[in-house]
Amino acid sequence: MMYNYLFIGLLLFIIGLLGSMFVKNMIKVLISIEFMLLGININFVTFATYCDNINFDGYIFALFYIGIGAVELALALYLFYLMYSKKQSDNIEKYSDL
Amino acid sequence: MIDNPIIFYPSAVLIILFAIVTLFARNIIYSMLSAIIVFFFGALFFYVLGSEYNAIIQAAIYGLAVPIIIGISIMFCSPYSKKEKAEGKNKFLTPYLTILSGGIFLLAFIYLVLMSLAMNPSTFHYLGNLQVNSFDTIWTFAKGIFINYVWAFELISLLLLIVIAGFSMLKRRGI
Repeated sequence: MMYNYLFIGLLLFIIGLLGSMFVKNMIKVLISIEFMLLGININFVTFATYCDNINFDGYIFALFYIGIGAVELALALYLFYLMYSKKQSDNIEKYSDL
Repeated sequence: MIDNPIIFYPSAVLIILFAIVTLFARNIIYSMLSAIIVFFFGALFFYVLGSEYNAIIQAAIYGLAVPIIIGISIMFCSPYSKKEKAEGKNKFLTPYLTILSGGIFLLAFIYLVLMSLAMNPSTFHYLGNLQVNSFDTIWTFAKGIFINYVWAFELISLLLLIVIAGFSMLKRRGI
């Protein structure tokens, strides 16, 4: 069962990676990055449950990643809002002249 | 920890399906709603794996707070202009996406039926040899945050404080 959870984490990471690489919408790119973080967190918790049944370090790391991910998303959305007010588009190809 | 295939396989199929829908949905609101479902399924996975605290944090932050931020940013930006709507992008992608989603559901259903036919009924119950005590989990959480990783915890608190101060400074400067 452990490998199933790891596989789901890997699939989420791959979906997030592909989405952040190929999707043109800025908000979808940010959500894809959150999918990558979710996949990583699932792997952390899975390893903590199955392999580290004493200290649960993976749970702590997942908690930190959740906090940092939320902050990163809030910052990125604010920057996106600032850029959008100048470019008037959500297409990331128009943000190449940063 | 709840090691139950009946919970895992449908949840796994749905989380992957909604993650794909998030990327390919034409309307950004549907994309955001699919992302909320994915985050809630992530919380479900955390709960099933025995980490109730992470599940609550995940559901509270990613299931409720983050979608509000995304929704507000969508509201401020209104990314889909009339011009882009008129262009009709991804018009030819919808049938392929429907076929792909239906195929994934069909494969998952066949796999689930075969698994349930071949499964031993004892696997429907909690596993006796691998259980996580909830009280021990909370205790180890507290020990990890406040003893083992207290510097990382303080560093993240400082990071959050810097972010709040930075936001207020940017707002004051009128950027």
